[in-house]
Amino acid sequence: MGKRREKETTRRQFLRLGDGKKKDVVVVVFLRGAADGLNLVVPHAEPRYYELRPTLAVPRPDDTSADDSERGIALDDRFSFHPLLSPLLPSFRAGELAVVHAVGSDDQTRSHFEAQDRMEHAGRTEGSESSGWLARYLRQSGRKSGLSSAAIGTQLPESLRGAPAVSVLQTLDDYRLGKERDPELERALRALYAPAPAPGDALAPGDALASAGVDALGTLARLEALGVAGEGHRAAYRDDNFARGLREVARLIHADVGLEAASVDLGDWDTHFVQANLFPSNVSTLAHGLAAFREDLGDTMQRVTVVVMTEFGRRAYENSSLGTDHGRAGVMFLMGGAVHGGRVITDWPGLAEDQLEQPGDLAVTIDYRDVLAELVERRLGADSSTIFPGHEATDRGVFRK
Amino acid sequence: MPSRRDFLGAASLGAAATALGGCDSVLGAVSRRLGADVPDRIVAPSGPQIDDTHHLLDRAAFGPWPGDVERVKKLGAERWIDEQLDPESIGDAACRVRTAVIDTVHLPSSLLFEVRPKWVEKQLVTHTLLQAIYSKRQLKEVMVSFWTDHFNIAIGKSLCRHLKTGDDRDVIRQNALGSFRRLLGASAKSAAMLVYLDGRDNKKSEPEDRPNENYARELLELHTLGVRGGYTQNDVMEAARCLTGWVVREKWAPGTVEFDAKRHDDGKKIVLGKTIAAGGGAKDVDSLLDVLVAHPACGRFLAQKLCRFFVADDPPRALVERVAAAFESSGGDIPTLLRTILTSVEFRGSKGQKLKRPFRYVVSSLRALGADAHARGELQRYLERMGHKPFQYPTPDGYPNVAGEWLATMLWRWNFALALAEGRLGDAKIDVDELLDALGADKKNPVTPVMRHLLGRDPTPAEREALEAYLASEPGQRQPRRALALALASPAFQRH
Repeated sequence: MGKRREKETTRRQFLRLGDGKKKDVVVVVFLRGAADGLNLVVPHAEPRYYELRPTLAVPRPDDTSADDSERGIALDDRFSFHPLLSPLLPSFRAGELAVVHAVGSDDQTRSHFEAQDRMEHAGRTEGSESSGWLARYLRQSGRKSGLSSAAIGTQLPESLRGAPAVSVLQTLDDYRLGKERDPELERALRALYAPAPAPGDALAPGDALASAGVDALGTLARLEALGVAGEGHRAAYRDDNFARGLREVARLIHADVGLEAASVDLGDWDTHFVQANLFPSNVSTLAHGLAAFREDLGDTMQRVTVVVMTEFGRRAYENSSLGTDHGRAGVMFLMGGAVHGGRVITDWPGLAEDQLEQPGDLAVTIDYRDVLAELVERRLGADSSTIFPGHEATDRGVFRK
Repeated sequence: MPSRRDFLGAASLGAAATALGGCDSVLGAVSRRLGADVPDRIVAPSGPQIDDTHHLLDRAAFGPWPGDVERVKKLGAERWIDEQLDPESIGDAACRVRTAVIDTVHLPSSLLFEVRPKWVEKQLVTHTLLQAIYSKRQLKEVMVSFWTDHFNIAIGKSLCRHLKTGDDRDVIRQNALGSFRRLLGASAKSAAMLVYLDGRDNKKSEPEDRPNENYARELLELHTLGVRGGYTQNDVMEAARCLTGWVVREKWAPGTVEFDAKRHDDGKKIVLGKTIAAGGGAKDVDSLLDVLVAHPACGRFLAQKLCRFFVADDPPRALVERVAAAFESSGGDIPTLLRTILTSVEFRGSKGQKLKRPFRYVVSSLRALGADAHARGELQRYLERMGHKPFQYPTPDGYPNVAGEWLATMLWRWNFALALAEGRLGDAKIDVDELLDALGADKKNPVTPVMRHLLGRDPTPAEREALEAYLASEPGQRQPRRALALALASPAFQRH
C-alpha cells in the first residue's frame, strides 16, 4: 500500500511533455568497453582516490606540483573534469551539460556483453525477443516518418533492436544501389522482398529478412529525396569516426526528415592495460566530438538531448599493469537545451573500504533508468512505465521543470 | 625454420610476380587446370524443396562449387562428411596454387615482426578468403570461421597484427577439427591471445598489485562455460591466479611465449569447487583447463553454439542435448560433435533457416559462379562495408551468429551482387557464358536454371515472375548478367 502511493508520487513528479509540444531528438552516445568514470569526473575531495590510484589518479585542481595541463578542472568543491574534457566546459558553465555520477545498472556479471545488452534493453536480458529501450520509445511515439531513427556504424545497437525502421549508416553520401539509379531493379527487389502473399512462398509474412529488404529500399528512396550531397557544416569536426558519426546525425537533424533517435558508438574504453595509453585520446575524441556537435546545431540544440552512457565503470583501484578492471558504477553526461546542467548530480557513495562494493568498486546509487525515464517523460512525452517495465523511477532533476 | 634472408627473398619474388600483370591469369589458369574450374555440364537440382545435398554443402561448406552437388551425391553424404572430417586425406593443389604468393602465413611470428603490420594483416585476410573459396577441405574452412569467432582476436590491438597470423595457423587451423581441449590449450598459450586479453600482464598479487583478470573472465564466459555457466567472481579471480606468469617476448625472437615462474602465483587455488594444489607452476594452466572442459556447462555451451551455427538461430533443444552428451562421451572430440549435428534429422529439417553472414554470402556467391578471385582489395572492402571483414570484430565475443545482427547489410549485399555479376570487380572475374552453357540455359531467359543452380530448388512463381519482369524491362546482351545479379540479390540466396 505504502509502496504504491510512493510510486504514484514519483510518477506525478515527472511533468510530462504536453501533446502539442515538439519532442526532442535523442542522441545516444554509448562508450563501449566500460569507461572509467572515476577518471572522467574525478572525486578530488576524496583522499582515498589518490591512494587507490597511485599512478593513474588525475592530480587535484590545486595540485601545483603537477603540470597545469594535467590537473583536473574543478566543477564544484568535490568533482573535477579530466583535463581533456575541457572542450565541454562552455556547455557545463552555460548550464546545458549535466554529469550524473555513481550511476549504473543492477547487472552483477561485470561482463561487457551482458551489461551492455541489459542496459540497452533496459531491464530485459533473457530471450531473443528482447527489444531496446529506444525501439520501445519509437514504437510508442507513433510518428512513422521515413528516417525516424539512425544508427551510425555497421551494426544495429541493442537499444534500437526492434525499432520500426532503423537505418544503419556509416555516412549518408554512399548509401546508393549500383552505379546509377535503376528503377526497374528497385521494382524487382521490391517484388522479391515484399511479394504478394502466395502459397509456398520462401518468405513468411512479417519475415525479418523481408522487412530488412523493404527497409533498405525505403531508406534509398528517402535519401534520394533528401539530396544528400552539399549540406554545409557549421562546425569544425575532427577527422575521426566518432566526429564523423555525430556530423551525420547533425545533417539528419538539420535536414528535418523526422529523425527522433540516433545512436553513435565510441569504443575502446576497456583499459585493463596501461590506461594512460588509450584513455586520454578517447577522452579527447569524446569531448571534441560533442563540442563540435553542439556548435553545429546552435539553437537547434534546444530540441536535442544527447545522452552519454557506458555499461559500467571500472574498479576503484588500479591493477598491476597500470590499468583498471571491470567495476560497477560509472558516469553519464547529458547535454541539451532542456538539461538542468552545470551540476554534478550524485548520491555519492564514497571510496572508503567499507563503502566500496566488493571486490573494490564504486557502488551504484543512481539507477541509469531514473535518468532515461525522466528524459522519456519530460522531453519525449512518452510513458516511461511501459518503456522501462518494472522500474519505479526516482526523480533526479536532470531536466529543467 | 626459414632464415630472414630466405624470407625476404621469397617476399620480393612474390612482390615481383604480383607486379607482373600476367601473373594473376597464369595462377588462375593453373588452378583451373587443377580442379578450380567449371565442369562442361552441371545438373542443377530441381523440385520445390531445397535439395538435401545442396543443403549439406550450404552449411558444412561455403556453398557448392559448380559440379559439387553431383559429386557428393555420387559419393554419398556420410562418406563426404567422413572425408571432410579427415582433411589431410583430401588433395588441395588448386587452392595451394591460388595461395602460393602469400608467403607471410608460413612464417614464424619472430620474422613477421620484420614486416609492415598492415601488410601482414592484409595477406592474412586474403589467405582466409582464398582458402574459404578454393579449399576442397571445406568443412575445415567452415570450422576455422567458427573458431576464429569463438576465440576472437581483434587484430588492431597492440601487437596482434604481428601475432594473429601465427594464432590462425598454429591454434585455429591446426586444431579446427581435432580435440577441443587441445584447441583450448593452444589458444591459452597463444601469443596473440596473451596480448589481446592482457594475459601477459597477469602476474601474482602483491600487496599493491592485483592480477589482471581479463583473459580469465573471457576464458570462462566466452571460451568454455558461458555467462550463465555457474561460476562466480571468485572463480574468475582464482582462474586468473592459475594463469599468472605467461609472457610474450618483445625482443630477441619476439612473439615467443614463455613462462616466468617469478610472476606466477604458485599457491593453492579453488576453481568451481575443484582444488588445484600449490606448486603446480606452469602446469596450473592445464589443470585449470581440465577443470573447465570437464564441467558440464562447457559441453552444453559449445553444443548450443555449434547448433546455432549449423542448424538454426534458436536450435532445437533435443539436438543441443544430444550434442552436449556427445561432447561428454567423446571428451570433446570435434568431429564427433559435427557428425552428430550433420547427420541429424533436425539438421535436415532446417533448410534455408539461417541467414548467411556477409562473409558466407560473398564466398558462396564466388563459389557458385566458379569465380576467378584474388581477394586482395575490393572483396575486403565489401566485407568491411558489411561489418564482417575477418579479424576486425572489436570485442572478444566474436562476430554474432544470429540473423538479427546482420539485417542492416542488405544494400551492400545487393551492391556486391551487382558488381560481381556485371563484371565490375577487378578482384573476382566470372565467365558467364561458360557457366550458362554448362547449365544448358537459354541466354534470353536463363531464370529457371540459374535459380536452381543457386538455390538448389525450382524458383517459386513469384521469384520467376520478378526476375522475368526485370529481364523484360531491358532486352539485350546483358540479360544473363542481370539474371545472375538479381538471383544473387534475392532473399532466398541470403539464406542457407
